[in-house]
Amino acid sequence: MRRAHARRTATTIREVSDIVVTTDERPEGRQRSAEEERLLAQRRRDTRNKWLWRIAGYVVVLLIWEYGFQAIMELIAGRSLNDALLPGPIRILQTIPDIWEDGEMLSNFGATLTRIGIGFGVSFIAGALIGLFTQNKWLDSFFRDLVVVSLTSPGLVWALTGLIIWGFKPLGWIFAIFMTTFALVSVNISEGVRALPKDLLDMAKAFGVSSIDRQRHIVIPHLAPYIFTAVRFGFSIAWKVTVLTEVFSSNKGIGFQMRVTSQVFQLDEFFTWVLSFFVFALFLEKVVLQRAEDRYFRWRQEVAT
Amino acid sequence: MAEIKVKNLHKEFGVGDDRVVALENVNLDIEGHVFVSIVGPSGCGKSTLLNILSGIETASSGTVDITQDSHDANPGYVFQAARLLPWRSVMENLMFVQKERDDEARARCQRYLDMVQLGDKGDKFPGELSGGMQQRVGIARAFSIEPDVLFMDEPFSHLDAITARSLRRELHEMWKQTKKTVLFVTHDVGEAVELSNRILVFAKGGKLEDDITVDLPFPRDPSDDAVAVAKAQVLRKFEELDLLAT
Ligand SMILES: Nc1ncnc2c1ncn2[C@@H]1O[C@H](COP(=O)(O)OP(=O)(O)O)[C@@H](O)[C@H]1O
Ligand SMILES: [Mg+2]
Repeated sequence: MRRAHARRTATTIREVSDIVVTTDERPEGRQRSAEEERLLAQRRRDTRNKWLWRIAGYVVVLLIWEYGFQAIMELIAGRSLNDALLPGPIRILQTIPDIWEDGEMLSNFGATLTRIGIGFGVSFIAGALIGLFTQNKWLDSFFRDLVVVSLTSPGLVWALTGLIIWGFKPLGWIFAIFMTTFALVSVNISEGVRALPKDLLDMAKAFGVSSIDRQRHIVIPHLAPYIFTAVRFGFSIAWKVTVLTEVFSSNKGIGFQMRVTSQVFQLDEFFTWVLSFFVFALFLEKVVLQRAEDRYFRWRQEVAT
Repeated sequence: MAEIKVKNLHKEFGVGDDRVVALENVNLDIEGHVFVSIVGPSGCGKSTLLNILSGIETASSGTVDITQDSHDANPGYVFQAARLLPWRSVMENLMFVQKERDDEARARCQRYLDMVQLGDKGDKFPGELSGGMQQRVGIARAFSIEPDVLFMDEPFSHLDAITARSLRRELHEMWKQTKKTVLFVTHDVGEAVELSNRILVFAKGGKLEDDITVDLPFPRDPSDDAVAVAKAQVLRKFEELDLLAT
């Protein structure tokens, strides 16, 4: 939001001749009106309050977790809960340095990420191809039900199937990730292809633009938002399924660590793994993907102003 | 000198109840530096004709032959909607249709952007421009490949009257300077009379009904008597044909 705004301001300065004046920008020689000042102050207050409330949400939940449960247990059962069974946030946080120093954190994350990368990579390419194939009505019929099955069946089914057939071999998790995500990709891509801008393609044809350039400058940019959607949803499912397969059939990775720590009742470490999983997923979604998208769709932001 | 020859052109769409005859046995011969307007009620095959001439559509039967000075030249096309790539800047949109995307092409694109008075808008995205500006980018794009033949399909019909009027003047100036063969579709008889040497009248069912030569000096002021008379004559013909068609 802030960045988009900064960019807009920059554009405004470059094209001085335009009448566009954003509220944050004070043209030379003009004071902001009292009403503008009031609106700006209110906007700032709103932003600040939103963040305060959001943080308050975290603090309250963590406080209840740390102290509230114990208090309730004591009230009801007359004794405190075993610390190992429900570790509080503080104790969980204390385990992080240990796990980090062991090198466990990085190596397990690495293992899980590699799996997701390979599994979803394969799935994305195959899914995209199938999406393109479904433009052909025969192939559309061919793939239709397969796609529906993949979209509707729970990841657990494929994780177990992969385990039964391939055991600990990579094909097991590749299979599970593939079965749960390729359809998402193909459905999105085929939707995009169905909505191809015929008017632009006709224009390019009339001007004798080569087929390669038509793909590059019309088809791909048109498909980009569909591809982003596919990656975003596909990735979030690939995450879950990968961790799931690791729980069953692996000796490394976040899922594996979750299984081990829960089996030996090390719930503090267990929650650390869960927590790091959240943090990383959030990082990918909000920072990496969002950044890439903002960059790629710069033209939309410029236009939106 | 460019030449457009159309022989026994026929085009139809669909089957059974859906069958539509868009063009019926059309014969045409257009040669040289002329501005030819095609008028007629909507649905009479005007766009279909341009689409076949430009290679977007194929004919059901008949032949189309376009001869241009340079062998591999491509006609330019201005559409009813600007049809710009929304994700490319104005300059990139012009470069997109160039055969060679070199510095020379860039300079040429800049020159035509200047000509439509958008020389400083090359870095903008189309969505940042008004409808009239976008249409001018479309015009600059068509001119920027310096074609011998230029197709225009109701290029001003989406614009307000004042913008359309000034663009009409710009177009006339550019046509005069660049010596092109222009095929200009419009449903506005006044516009046709103001701009063209020749007016082709199409009727429903895709039949070419009349071929009118307008022999008045340019520039033509719509309020000028001679121009008004010519317009009235074409309108009368137009009405007769329209009555015949229903
Ligand atoms: N792709 C198409 N499929 C079916 N019918 C079409 C198609 N394109 C044009 N037509 C029909 O052909 C006729 C002529 O269309 P068009 O050339 O667009 O008319 P105009 O441009 O004169 O308004 C219309 O009846 C239209 O419905
Ligand atoms: Mg039309």
